[in-house]
Amino acid sequence: MTAPSFEKFLSLSVDLTAFEETDLLGTGMAHAYLAKVRAACGDEVVTDLLDAHRAARADAAGGTGSHARTPLDRDLFDRALRHRILSDDRLGPVARNVIKLWYAGMWYALPPEWTDRHGARTAAETSTVTAAAYQEGLLWRAIGANPPGAKAPGYGSWAEPPRIADRYLKGATR
Amino acid sequence: MIASTIENRDDLVSYLNAAMSLEHATIPPYLTAYYSIHSGTNSDAAHIIRVTAVEEMLHLTLAANVLNAIGGKPDLTRPGFVPSYPAYLPDGEDDFTVDLRPFSPEAVETFCKIERPGKAPSADSRLVETPDSRTHFLVSSPTAEKMRFYSIGEFYEEIIEGLEKVAANDPALFHGDPARQVGPEYFYSGGGAITVVTDLQSAQQALRFIAGQGEGLDSGIYDADGELAHYYRFRQLQLGRYYQVGDRPDAPSGPSLSISWDEVHKVKVSVRLADYPAGSELARVARDFNADYGAFLALLTKAFDGRPDLLQEGVCEMFRLRDGFNRLVCNPLPGSGGLHAGPTFEIPAGAGPDPGVSPDAGATDETARTVTR
Repeated sequence: MTAPSFEKFLSLSVDLTAFEETDLLGTGMAHAYLAKVRAACGDEVVTDLLDAHRAARADAAGGTGSHARTPLDRDLFDRALRHRILSDDRLGPVARNVIKLWYAGMWYALPPEWTDRHGARTAAETSTVTAAAYQEGLLWRAIGANPPGAKAPGYGSWAEPPRIADRYLKGATR
Repeated sequence: MIASTIENRDDLVSYLNAAMSLEHATIPPYLTAYYSIHSGTNSDAAHIIRVTAVEEMLHLTLAANVLNAIGGKPDLTRPGFVPSYPAYLPDGEDDFTVDLRPFSPEAVETFCKIERPGKAPSADSRLVETPDSRTHFLVSSPTAEKMRFYSIGEFYEEIIEGLEKVAANDPALFHGDPARQVGPEYFYSGGGAITVVTDLQSAQQALRFIAGQGEGLDSGIYDADGELAHYYRFRQLQLGRYYQVGDRPDAPSGPSLSISWDEVHKVKVSVRLADYPAGSELARVARDFNADYGAFLALLTKAFDGRPDLLQEGVCEMFRLRDGFNRLVCNPLPGSGGLHAGPTFEIPAGAGPDPGVSPDAGATDETARTVTR
């Protein structure tokens, strides 16, 4: 079996986190995160997850091919992701963990029902990835705040309202 | 001896504008090296570069204080304020290029050259003719055509002498509004204090401080306050040891410092927007950084235009720029053989005091390229 591809993991992560590829690469954590998921779940599960993601994109592109450039029908894609991944007993919990990994910089232990059925690995226990992972958690970007104790925002900046990128406001006003 | 190139207040204003541009121009190269370093590694080098970059910000502010003191109006948004990299700096009769480089022996060599003491051998060699091919020259004389200075130190010496000369004929030279001065309540950092400029003496003191902390014309390792001059700080990175008091310039005898040249994002040297894949997400992020940097320069312009209290907001903006810088250098630049992205510092023309509209990419590129000094 070939090792799960980094590009496919990145593409999956973009769709799961709603952050852009440059944001994800910009954390400097992407390679470490893929390595963590592989160590925690095994390559077979990761490869199946990436394949399911590719299939979901193909569903939403009209099923004629898995061209990454084809514009997706967002509603179809949302449904396909839920159907093929998030509601899947084996892939769903891993996908949710990938989301948490990006947002919190932590790998959370998979639920016992999952490990009972699919096997437990030492690396699957709750753990941090690297010291930088906490600082690079997407949750800080998402709420327009700095990780407490890191990435100092400047004296008095806490008096200003958080700056949240327009694309996450979905039309709401600040 | 060649006659002074400063005759009146207008000449001084031109020179001080050039000084601000020069002080600022050193900051992007320092920051590119600094942020290219993998976080948590190379702490000795990172510290040396960071402290120097912050002191260049002090120099920028000091030059603004002198300019404001003689009734000038600093403008960091004018075309050409940010040079196009690579830019050129003098090294005596020769010159050298200043690139935006990742932390590397070449970058440290450039930093040493920027800060190297350079006293002209005689008074009439202070000015050197600029070859026609050099358009992005950072210490050209703003008043004598096609002439540039032997060194940054000689450039400041010219201004210091010019101030004295003009002040002697014009008792009202220092008529600037004192409320426009940036004082210690607005500028705080390590490595030197801000000088409020109200007269000839404080103006010369501010400029001597800039020249002395940077390269200086009298080559001592430590200055009067016991602080190591910039040039020797970077020499430490080349020689692998810290200086301590009593050392000779070429033989530091302090603790050794450790450098891992590989723990660095290999940012493409003097990367330009044109190097980014057209229409890509990454190109947009690089362009956004330039727009944010332009907006930051507009904020600084306001701060130097009677609102020194805005510098506090400026500090917060600097931290945002830091985060944007870090995101860019972590991204590989497609089609560059594994090199990484980085800010290009091509400031869009629309990033002036009202950065509401971002001009289209082509126009932005064009404006940045035609800027020469």
